[in-house]
Amino acid sequence: MIRGEAPVATDCQTIQEILTENGGGLERLDGAESQHLEVCPDCREVAAAERALGLLFARAIPPADRVVEERVLAALRPARIRRRIVAFLPVAASLLVALVGAVMVGGVPGSGILGLLPEFSTQGWMAFATSVSDWGAAVATGARAAANTLDPAFLAGAGLVSIFGLVGVAVTALRWRRVSLWRDDR
Amino acid sequence: MAVTKKTPQLSDERLVELSLDGDEGAFGVLVRRYQRRLTAFLSQLVGDMELARELSQEAFVRAWSALERFNPKYRFSTWLFRIAHNLGIDQLRRRRLLTTPLYRTDSEGDEVEVVVPDLDKDPLGHLENQALASELREVIDGLRPEYRELVLLRHFGGLSYQEIADFTEMPLGTVKNKLFRAHSVLRKALTEFL
Repeated sequence: MIRGEAPVATDCQTIQEILTENGGGLERLDGAESQHLEVCPDCREVAAAERALGLLFARAIPPADRVVEERVLAALRPARIRRRIVAFLPVAASLLVALVGAVMVGGVPGSGILGLLPEFSTQGWMAFATSVSDWGAAVATGARAAANTLDPAFLAGAGLVSIFGLVGVAVTALRWRRVSLWRDDR
Repeated sequence: MAVTKKTPQLSDERLVELSLDGDEGAFGVLVRRYQRRLTAFLSQLVGDMELARELSQEAFVRAWSALERFNPKYRFSTWLFRIAHNLGIDQLRRRRLLTTPLYRTDSEGDEVEVVVPDLDKDPLGHLENQALASELREVIDGLRPEYRELVLLRHFGGLSYQEIADFTEMPLGTVKNKLFRAHSVLRKALTEFL
């Protein structure tokens, strides 16, 4: 309630709501509201109480705890590995789709690679290089053979699946790169 | 770009972007920025300081693990507090299954649950003035649940009115009105300390 004769354009509740929102600060009051405050002891009392309440709550917040921060940062490490695995799953799925599409079209990986790759020997890598070359030749030959025997619509579909898979690999790999082990800019 | 302790002034949004690029230092800045307030909020929510520390840690780990799913059109603070709030509520539900709650009538005639504090784990135990701690505990616990949550978010979580509105999915005007009413109760109950 206003005690005084000064004309005011605002009511106590509006001003007290502003004071409550701003912790009793007067900065957000416009001219008429400030004028109101000058002549209204109730609103001034609320402003003072809100400032005191703000200080009281500030004291009630426990101090920062470095131990918790360190525990949190330490706990992020296992989560980082999970993130990498989860981020790689779409890449793997897209690769699979691309491979299935390629096989459907007629591309068959060189036979030698499948038996030798797990050994990671020099011979294996040589076989891998040869197989890549074989694979290219096999794709071309297979595609020509398949084109003569399979329904063109099926071939077109398989081609699309493969392209879709390759696009998927590109898109998901970009996303995965953000959290992969191979980032070089940290 | 790796974020160091020298760049804590970056916005939450930028720090989230850098964290998504695998920069743990950026996420560390977010942890330092929110850990104190998040723990304070959780400690009042669950009434146990040690449990609040654990839940706060869990909230950050969950946020880090799910960062790809964070929608940047929302505020990081709101998202983080929602994760923490859900963890706190789950914890309270679990505890409720093991205990029988006590109720009392609040200032507006509604029944509210009585939280009996374990003084060893008291979230206000750091206050030197134990009379104030006791009164504050009683006043906060005695608030209507809808007011209490807003007061915790505002004064312990340090969220702005707009962030609280986003968090609770209430119109901003409703948040203002409810906090105004809650503060009226707080001012009256804590008069001797103001």
